[in-house]
Amino acid sequence: MNPWLIAAAFLLLCLVAPFLICARGDAISRLVGLEAGSAMVTMILLLLAIGFNRDPFTDLALALALLSFGGGLVFARFLQRWL
Amino acid sequence: MALTAGPIAIWTLLIVGMGAFLFTAIGLLVFKDVYERIQFTYPAATIGVAAIVAAVVIQKSISQAGIKAILIGLILLWANGALSHATARAARVRRLGDWKPSPQEKIEIVDGN
Repeated sequence: MNPWLIAAAFLLLCLVAPFLICARGDAISRLVGLEAGSAMVTMILLLLAIGFNRDPFTDLALALALLSFGGGLVFARFLQRWL
Repeated sequence: MALTAGPIAIWTLLIVGMGAFLFTAIGLLVFKDVYERIQFTYPAATIGVAAIVAAVVIQKSISQAGIKAILIGLILLWANGALSHATARAARVRRLGDWKPSPQEKIEIVDGN
């Protein structure tokens, strides 16, 4: 275990909080949990790519960071107008 | 094994990043109001992301992975603000029907819009 993998494992534990909010909260709280969880998973992917010395896999984290932003905005707009 | 400045800095930054993410996780669980929860996403998205990205840049220097890590950090930093605004606005519209202040709230409107 190198420091990157330890940090990734720790962030994986922290992911329990957004997961619980997504499972139990109201619609807007679930969206907040999704946004917090997206940031955590992005960092986990980055840490795993560095920890396993697979630099090209940082593309996954970059793609998730971009897509989670678009997804979050769509969800926020959707919850504001239609749900 | 003697620790040099690089590994010490990486460990320190990773611990700071982990602490910020833990702070966010605890805040999300402890506070029930949606606006407070939105505020508690900031430690992770600012301090946590910046610390972890800095650790990656120390490890990889300005290589492909380092530049991508910086990009990821910038995107998350910018996206969290925009998403928080959109989410808070959606929460307010769902609660009150409009995001603009109502007369009962007695909020002074400065620019008249």
